[in-house]
Amino acid sequence: MTTEIVRTKDLHKIYDQNGPKPYEALKGITFSVQQGEFVGIMGASGSGKTTLLNIMATLDQPTSGSVEIDGKDVTNLTANQMSDFRSEKLGFIFQDFNLLETLTAQENIALPLSLQNKKPGETKQAVEAATKKLGIDDLLSKYPTQLSGGQKQRVAAARALVANPSIIFGDEPTGALDSTNARELLDTLTNINQQGVSILLVTHDPFSASFCKRILFIKDGKIGDEIDADGKSRNEFYQQILEKLGTFEQ
Amino acid sequence: MLFKISLSGVKSRWKDYLVLFSGMMITTAIFYMFEAISTNDKFTTSSPVGQNAKFVFIFGSILLAIITLVYVFYANNFLMSMRKHDYGLFMMLGAKSKVISKLIILETLVIGLASTFVGIILGVGFTKGLSGLLSSQIHVSLTNFSAFYMPAVWATLILFLVLFVIAGLVNARTFTKTSALNLLRSNQESDWKDPKKRTLFVQAVGGLVLLAIGYYAMYDINHLQLLAIGIGLITIVLGTYFVFNSFFVMILEAVQRSNTSYKGLNNFTISQLKFRIRDYTKILSVVSLLFALALGAITVGIGFQRMVPMMAAGNNAYAVGLTNPSPKMKSLVGDIDGKAQVTYQQKVDPGSKSVYYRASQFEAQPFKYAHFTNQAQLKSKIDNASLTQLKDRASTAYAGLNNLQAPLTRNLRIRLVSDTTFNRINAKANTLLLVRVNDMDAAATTLSKITNLQTRQYGKKVSEGLGVGGAYETYQLLKGVFGSLEFMGIFLGIAFLAMLASCLMFKILSGAASDKARFEMLNKIGARKSVLNRSIAVQILGLFILPAVLGIIDVAFGLQMFIKANLLHGAYQTFGWSVLGFSILYLIYYGITVMIYSKIVVPKTKVEK
Ligand SMILES: Nc1ncnc2c1ncn2[C@@H]1O[C@H](COP(=O)(O)OP(=O)(O)O)[C@@H](O)[C@H]1O
Ligand SMILES: [Mg+2]
Repeated sequence: MTTEIVRTKDLHKIYDQNGPKPYEALKGITFSVQQGEFVGIMGASGSGKTTLLNIMATLDQPTSGSVEIDGKDVTNLTANQMSDFRSEKLGFIFQDFNLLETLTAQENIALPLSLQNKKPGETKQAVEAATKKLGIDDLLSKYPTQLSGGQKQRVAAARALVANPSIIFGDEPTGALDSTNARELLDTLTNINQQGVSILLVTHDPFSASFCKRILFIKDGKIGDEIDADGKSRNEFYQQILEKLGTFEQ
Repeated sequence: MLFKISLSGVKSRWKDYLVLFSGMMITTAIFYMFEAISTNDKFTTSSPVGQNAKFVFIFGSILLAIITLVYVFYANNFLMSMRKHDYGLFMMLGAKSKVISKLIILETLVIGLASTFVGIILGVGFTKGLSGLLSSQIHVSLTNFSAFYMPAVWATLILFLVLFVIAGLVNARTFTKTSALNLLRSNQESDWKDPKKRTLFVQAVGGLVLLAIGYYAMYDINHLQLLAIGIGLITIVLGTYFVFNSFFVMILEAVQRSNTSYKGLNNFTISQLKFRIRDYTKILSVVSLLFALALGAITVGIGFQRMVPMMAAGNNAYAVGLTNPSPKMKSLVGDIDGKAQVTYQQKVDPGSKSVYYRASQFEAQPFKYAHFTNQAQLKSKIDNASLTQLKDRASTAYAGLNNLQAPLTRNLRIRLVSDTTFNRINAKANTLLLVRVNDMDAAATTLSKITNLQTRQYGKKVSEGLGVGGAYETYQLLKGVFGSLEFMGIFLGIAFLAMLASCLMFKILSGAASDKARFEMLNKIGARKSVLNRSIAVQILGLFILPAVLGIIDVAFGLQMFIKANLLHGAYQTFGWSVLGFSILYLIYYGITVMIYSKIVVPKTKVEK
């Protein structure tokens, strides 16, 4: 028996609803993500991926429809409730690491816990736990400039993990990376996922998507199709994605 | 095509341009105002200090030009930080660097010239208001003064034109030398490394010691003489630099190590401030020193002015002496609040070169005379003069009475005689009315009217160098001298403060664009908007307040120099008020900076409930 971490129901988003040129970016999106899944959302540029992710991540509000995360409806929260919800329940993976250069790795990782005003002792323990998982406990006192790309990657991942989020979101996290760094990030995410953390990635890049276990295809604000890795090797899954894209884009 | 894109870029950030534009306008207006007043012969020659004031004003002009240069540099940097992205895009689109250069120079010049023109017009208005204020408040006479003064217009135009041409050329050069990609991704990552603990410690201690030496040197000016100023200048400049570069950083690190840094964004805020302080050490030091200079100028300027009544008080116990006052003069005297008056009868006999008084009158109503008990501290006392004193030509009391008589009788001998002798003298009896006032400043306007009437009554002789006498004459004379000093002090002080605060503001705002990504990330990981705003407010407060505090301490010690050299008394009271006024002005700049910074950096929440 698995539990649902994310459930969206008939999401609609209309930009500039009362403006001169209203634009419907999402046209009724319904899907769910189970505990421990690694889900990808693919679509061409402009298909509504970022819009969808922002709504799920409480960074934006839908025009209609609902989003439940960990059983809680997040579409009607106040701004402060949204911020608190993000710090307690969500993790983020950013395009270019986005570590603060003036803080050490340890301090960067501790940031989400400080935002929750956790006790120093508790924070230290949580940071240790997260860094052990990623094998970076020896980097803690270093500043970002003293780290390699891959190391920064893992520090950023540890920051996303440290508050024990219900799910980690990433919007084109490999978009600005060279292939080595991209590969390293995807491996890190796979590693995290294997330890039981749910992940939802948004991407238009088939290579990144091939690391996911299930992929939803979005086109013109609607979910068009869905494929499952079903125990296939990553390479096989990659081929399947390419094929799917070929037919889907028509 | 490019021009259109360029224009749309300006449009989308018109509010930021508005800040820039108004800053430039005010700078131009300040400069014009200063030039109009200082280069205007009508002002400088009609004021009693004449050539001296001219020299001080020229010095002030140079200082003002220097800080204007620094100001334009920072404002220009801010302008370019807003345009980087657009110009990067043009280059990507394949625009030739020649075209871009032209565009940049054009843009800089258009903004510069427009703000200069508007600024000059504003300056004429300001000058008009200020000259009115000057003549009424600090009794600097500005007869025939016109706010529009062509030489000042030229000086302002030329200075700013030159500055903007230079700024435009520099901009064009830096832009065409940077690659398009770098311009587009201009949110440079700062490569922060924690400074070495030992260097930090050595610099911090060194900085404090240097400051201490500087402060001591100023305190010990009587002993060190001119050397005090030399030592003070060098040690305080260096000390300030090190204190910013290390001492403040060390303190912040100590705060960071405490448990408070685990709360909310405290750690981020402190570390960011630490980084900024080190990154901005130079400008913070300059701001601090200019702040001290400005505050010092105001304090000393006002301080001198405040001493005038004290100096006048020790000079004569009576404000004016009136010989045969007309009814009009008498009624004016009646209008003064808080006064005492006494009348003596007088007979002038040019034949025996004497002025006769009734001794009995001086016994019944003793003549009061003022004398300094401590010349250095300007402490004076008023005593009743005995008849013996009034008969002694060398006494202070005799000189005091002599000075209060009509100018033409001052070289005659004062003689106190019995009533019978007095009655026998064959001359017209005059009345000498002496007026004492409690508050010279309050009575100044009325006294000035009285003096004018008396001068007219005395006739020509008075205007040939001899005044009507009394403490008010001294008061008026000193006011003229110190009035222009005070004006200089207040004007330069406020102008400097306004400009240094805007320099700091533009420097900080120039960094906002590169901070955007950080704040977006913090928003995503769940920092509340209020927490982000607080972090910004604290960071910027640190950058504003530290130089100010150091500047205030500089002045607090620097004043000792004036006090020890017996140039200034009661300075600390003036100092207190100046600090208050300064802080208010400075806080306004702080508030504006925080507002704009937050607007650039804090992501808009989609929900505004
Ligand atoms: N704030 C906005 N206002 C108006 N339209 C927007 C806004 N954000 C996105 N859109 C439009 O919505 C559509 C979907 O955008 P987005 O979700 O960013 O797509 P994707 O991330 O898949 O590239 C696009 O056509 C885009 O132009
Ligand atoms: Mg997108």
